[in-house]
Amino acid sequence: MTDTAHVHVHEHEHPDDPCCEEVVRISCVRHTYEDGTSVHLCGMDFLVHAGKRVAVLGPNGAGKTTLLYHILGLLRPQEGEVRVFGIEPAEDWKDIRRRIGVVLQNVDEQIVAPTVFDDVAFSPQQYGLPDAEIQERTYAALDLLGIRELAGRVPHSLSGGEKRKVALAGALVMEPELLVLDEPFEGLDPASRSNLIELLGRLSAEKGMTVVLSTHDIDTVPDFADFAYVLAPGGTIVFRGTPAEVFSNADVIAQGNIKPPILAELFAMLRQRDESAPAPALSVRAAVEALEEWKRAD
Amino acid sequence: MSHIHIPDGVLPVWLWGAGWLVALVALMIASRISERESVRRKVPLLGVISALVLVAMSTEIVPIAYHVNLTVIAGAILGPWMSIISAFVVQVILALLGHGGVTVIGLNTIQTATEMILGWLLFRAFVRVLGRPRVRWAAAITTVLTLAVTTTMLVGLVALAGAGPAAMRETGALNPATLRFGNPLDGGVVNVGLFGGGEHAAEEESHADESPLSVTRFAAVVYTLGPIGWLLEALVTAGVLGYVARVRPSLVFEGGLAEAEPPHFGDEHGRH
Amino acid sequence: MDVTFVDSAAILGSSRLHAASAGAKVAAFTLVLATVVVTNDVLVLLSALVLLLALAAGMGMPLRRMVPLALYPAVFAAVFAFASAPSALSAILIVGKAVTAALAGVVLMFSTPYPQVFGIVQRFVPGIVGDALLMTYRSLFLLAEKLASLSTAIKLRSGLSGRQPIRAFRATTRALGGLLLYALDLSQREYDVLRLRGYERRLRVRALPSADVAMDRALLVGAAGLLGITITVRAVPEAVGIYSWMLAALSLLTLAVTATVRRRKS
Repeated sequence: MTDTAHVHVHEHEHPDDPCCEEVVRISCVRHTYEDGTSVHLCGMDFLVHAGKRVAVLGPNGAGKTTLLYHILGLLRPQEGEVRVFGIEPAEDWKDIRRRIGVVLQNVDEQIVAPTVFDDVAFSPQQYGLPDAEIQERTYAALDLLGIRELAGRVPHSLSGGEKRKVALAGALVMEPELLVLDEPFEGLDPASRSNLIELLGRLSAEKGMTVVLSTHDIDTVPDFADFAYVLAPGGTIVFRGTPAEVFSNADVIAQGNIKPPILAELFAMLRQRDESAPAPALSVRAAVEALEEWKRAD
Repeated sequence: MSHIHIPDGVLPVWLWGAGWLVALVALMIASRISERESVRRKVPLLGVISALVLVAMSTEIVPIAYHVNLTVIAGAILGPWMSIISAFVVQVILALLGHGGVTVIGLNTIQTATEMILGWLLFRAFVRVLGRPRVRWAAAITTVLTLAVTTTMLVGLVALAGAGPAAMRETGALNPATLRFGNPLDGGVVNVGLFGGGEHAAEEESHADESPLSVTRFAAVVYTLGPIGWLLEALVTAGVLGYVARVRPSLVFEGGLAEAEPPHFGDEHGRH
Repeated sequence: MDVTFVDSAAILGSSRLHAASAGAKVAAFTLVLATVVVTNDVLVLLSALVLLLALAAGMGMPLRRMVPLALYPAVFAAVFAFASAPSALSAILIVGKAVTAALAGVVLMFSTPYPQVFGIVQRFVPGIVGDALLMTYRSLFLLAEKLASLSTAIKLRSGLSGRQPIRAFRATTRALGGLLLYALDLSQREYDVLRLRGYERRLRVRALPSADVAMDRALLVGAAGLLGITITVRAVPEAVGIYSWMLAALSLLTLAVTATVRRRKS
């Protein structure tokens, strides 16, 4: 395990600490597609507790999206069990759908209504909320993402980043307890990426929102995630832990075919040359502190 | 050409009005029936197949303005009831984008829906008779027969439009052969614009038997140009359905809603 | 079918026509259509056509893209006319009607975002039809884009040069087949999205209020006036019809003035 004296990361509870309500549980789910490809989400249970931010990592074809789709009830487990808010999503989606917000990978396909306002207002409208409340919620969601001026626009005329914001507004309009995101950082410029991470952090801290996302973007994980799960090709869940634990574990990195964040790589190489080098720090500030301390110790 | 768009203002009001009536009634019935099953799955399918038909219509196969319709394919996938809805949607969008007449949306819907439904019926029949390995032949024969039927419908429509002089006068229809318009607002016969004297009712009777001539001429044009379009459409339909039958047979042989579960998701497959 | 261009023109345009309400524009469009259907006077038809052009020109709309779209049905109308009309005059009438009606539709679609237009149509058709209309138009964008990229990929891979019709034909067929498969999978994914987001009722379009009520009125009065004249000319051609040349001359003058003013402005 990591040398806690040298790990400069945020203190988090371990995933096994039962501090809060269990929001998602996936227990050894197997799914075989029509063409024979198989995904086995086994190895350990996939657990997410209320208010936590969880990242799902792994190479292409590992089964990240399959995992998310099981959470959303779009796929029915052929073996194993999926529980979201205690319910099987594939069976009883209607009972929990208001509590879950979703942003899928392809935002073009996600935006269903003809204008931005209509799209963000879609869910409340479909749930039959009164007009005044629909207006209020929709504008609140638009303001949260800073896109109120786009309300009358037709979605396909927007840039990729703007579309993503619209999709996110649509997911947040019902103030869900669980937010599920498939590759949300894709196509975002660095500034937008930081804004999104900051927003997700705020939602989690202020509203207790649980966030589950899959990503290739390793560099976002330390800033965003409380915990990370690593999937190997075929779907096996090989590791769960804090980002620091993930990126300091060479086996996990290899199995998950992950390219660690640059800082982690830097520290790993330092350690190879000099065993007294500090353990990986995952933020620049932490890295600077760690290196200064190492220099002083020298 | 496999499709002829009838312009606005040429057919008598009663004809295109009746077209609208029939189309709307069919639409109501089709909607009721479609809504009985799980509606929600169908709306996107209806959307993409109608969009596909529209995209095909704007793709030139031979650069002399021959385009294909893919209506037979659409019919095979959607089945009869949703085909009616799809036909209507396609015609509305075409009309708004300037491709077809607005008043004749009803009639065009009937024609397109017939193509789709007939396509669905015949395709299934021929596949059963000829067997799945001969899917291309089934598709080709279906297409040619279907288009021949709907082209004949069109000729029938023109013949209807040119029906008897008395009816024409009453409804103010244009008699294409004699350039006369019946005028419901007064007893006589009216000519076009200011180019013409006032001809009398007597002359009108002598021109009455010219009506069949115009239908014949129309039919001649349509049956000469038509078969080339039918052949092209048959080749494309056979090609497309043959290709898809190899890759996803259930779609072709059981229709678009037959698949219980989609084949692929997310990064296991990547985007198409 | 370059829906993307039409759409951008409708959304990004800032003329008074764009500001007018969708309801007024659709109503005016219907009146113009009635004019086209009712008229049997070539000069009245010409007036309607020219006035539409004048409107589009005056509003700074992209005529260079609009006119070809409006001319498209002329091909089919010409076939129809050739086959059934014995004189040049009636042929002109038939073709003219097709083009004028088409132009009216094009002016509507270039100045009004499609959701607003379809939102009005939705009120007159069953729910599933209205939803299908919106989904179809939306899918058009996705499919057209996909076809373009499929066609490019296939053409590049098979090294076509446009002078090989059979190979071009095969390539297009393959592209369409690929597009069909993509379309079907797309529909499944769209259904998933709808289900996730709680789709139960209809896809409703929020009607936007008019931003230029004076323009609404002008459109309605103008279109109604034109129809009125058309009916009058048709009803009493001997008395009134002989003056239809004046209407035509007036409309041509309007076009000339509008075009000049526009040119001066830009």
